[in-house]
Amino acid sequence: MEIAAIKFTPLVLLGLALVVSLSVGTVIRRPSQSGYGIQFHSLGHASIGAAIASNWMSAASFLGIAGIFFVKGYFAFAYVLGWTGGYVLLLILMGSQIRRFGKYTAPDFVEARYESSVARVFSAVIAILISVIYCVAQYKGIGLVFAWIFGVDYTRALLFGIAVTLGYLVIAGVVGANRNQQLHYLVLIVSFVVPLLFIAHKLGYGWGFPQFSYGQALRDLPPEMARDTLYPWTYGSPYQWISLSFTLMVGTAGLPHVLSRFYTVPNSRDARWGVVWGLFFIGLLYWHAPAFAAFAKVWQARTGLELDGSAAAQIADLIVIKSGEWIGIAPLLVAVLAVGATLAAMSTITGLLVTGAGAFAYDIYYRLINPQASEKHLYNVAKAFTIILALIILVIALNPPGLIAQITAVAFALAGNTLFPLFLLGIWWHRTNKHGAIAGMLVGTAITFLPIVFGRLIPGLTDILPPTSSALIGAPVVILTMIVVSRLTPPPSKEMQRFLVEKVHGP
Amino acid sequence: MPERTSQRASQDLRVNFFRPRPGFMRKEVTIIWLTLVAWGLVTFGLPLYVGMQHTDPVRTLEESPTLLGLPFYFLFEGQLVIVWFILICFIFNSLIDWLTTSYRSRR
Repeated sequence: MEIAAIKFTPLVLLGLALVVSLSVGTVIRRPSQSGYGIQFHSLGHASIGAAIASNWMSAASFLGIAGIFFVKGYFAFAYVLGWTGGYVLLLILMGSQIRRFGKYTAPDFVEARYESSVARVFSAVIAILISVIYCVAQYKGIGLVFAWIFGVDYTRALLFGIAVTLGYLVIAGVVGANRNQQLHYLVLIVSFVVPLLFIAHKLGYGWGFPQFSYGQALRDLPPEMARDTLYPWTYGSPYQWISLSFTLMVGTAGLPHVLSRFYTVPNSRDARWGVVWGLFFIGLLYWHAPAFAAFAKVWQARTGLELDGSAAAQIADLIVIKSGEWIGIAPLLVAVLAVGATLAAMSTITGLLVTGAGAFAYDIYYRLINPQASEKHLYNVAKAFTIILALIILVIALNPPGLIAQITAVAFALAGNTLFPLFLLGIWWHRTNKHGAIAGMLVGTAITFLPIVFGRLIPGLTDILPPTSSALIGAPVVILTMIVVSRLTPPPSKEMQRFLVEKVHGP
Repeated sequence: MPERTSQRASQDLRVNFFRPRPGFMRKEVTIIWLTLVAWGLVTFGLPLYVGMQHTDPVRTLEESPTLLGLPFYFLFEGQLVIVWFILICFIFNSLIDWLTTSYRSRR
């Protein structure tokens, strides 16, 4: 590593941000009322919304949307549509009911609703798989940003970045630091929007509302470039658009770490209104994200920098930072963008690793391998599995299979094909039983991985069932499977049916 | 007779989105269906409309109505769709609040 290649401003800023984050987290920690670190103190709806948005904002939002827009123009809006419309589905179909059901994790819900520890284990495995895929995208974000900061290749940057992330996780655990979700959201959105204002200003576009002024920027592009970016179907058909946005929507409504936000608010009304604010706060980021790519394209056109498809794809996931660097805003502002992206990815990784490790220790190890294990033993198993999980993800992330947004979309496809139908039917059809649930999870997992494993062997398979967009076909097939299997097998207990009627669906 | 009806109601453990129980659940499901239509219009309707309207790249950019420098379909998918989602969530929540309050006060 050459010292001259290191960018010291983002390095110092990142170090400061991590120290401040740990210090604030240690000061604000409060005794938890449950085993999941969940706090039931009174919260305003805006505050709940900020927590929802903070929980949501990962490298996929911070880097991925601008990256996919840089490569695929208008088609990137399928991601915006999917990742916001999913909250509408979640709110109207399940939000209140999940809160009333009163379980804290997806496997908890599955075991209670379907009265089956086998179903619980299956759902835990799926939750771990979702965490792994989701984390691969976050690792890629960290690797790219660290490579940019230290001036080293992606592999070395990834190894170092993950070592820093795990170190942060360990220190946070030792000092008992909690993350203040509202403060975290504020830091991320400010570090995203403020540099963009300067980018717009530097290029001579309206800096007050860059989310609108990038329209003029796109109009100023050379005709062919403008056409490729603005024309709806340059990079995909209406079928591909609808299947992708639908998959992201049902995936959002089935993601364990998104659903868990609903268990952690004081009541179902707060959960509902928190979503409205959460959508607004997430929207703030998505309204601005394409502008980074648009302004980068303008700079490209003005300087005559030509990037072919693969070169554009290589740089796309770093375009948020590169746009600031190319256009020449203050290095401190570029550093702010890099630190924001790193914090978004790191917080998501640490959250998902802890969730995945917890699912393994409590839902798989304790249930299947060692039912006599003490609490301390399970805690050690969780710690060991965190390291194993981190290493598995590292191996996959060394050769990332796509853009950050695309990798993340596969995790959404898995959630949309498995957990979404499980929650939907579990809440809205009293007759769904454990056999239906297990069959649904098996079929949903198979549908998700079918195009990934056999896509190159079976011609046309990925056209019908794209790996990022399989839930348009997958989710209805799984729902149908669950209905048929449940009909052919005995119904759930009367107690569960009564609980659904009286507790989950009461006014 | 009323006793038998209430007994039957207490034995009815049906939860079915397509055949909701009379009363609160039926009204709640009606609100959900209305919101789903508003959600579906944007999720499926708009891309299909844009797909049918814009089949030629050159004509699309020349003939599409623009607002704030962007073709309207582009502005809608990129910006206004989120406002639309927030709006329908707001209306949904307001209706559910009203429904819940009216049923709780009857109890």
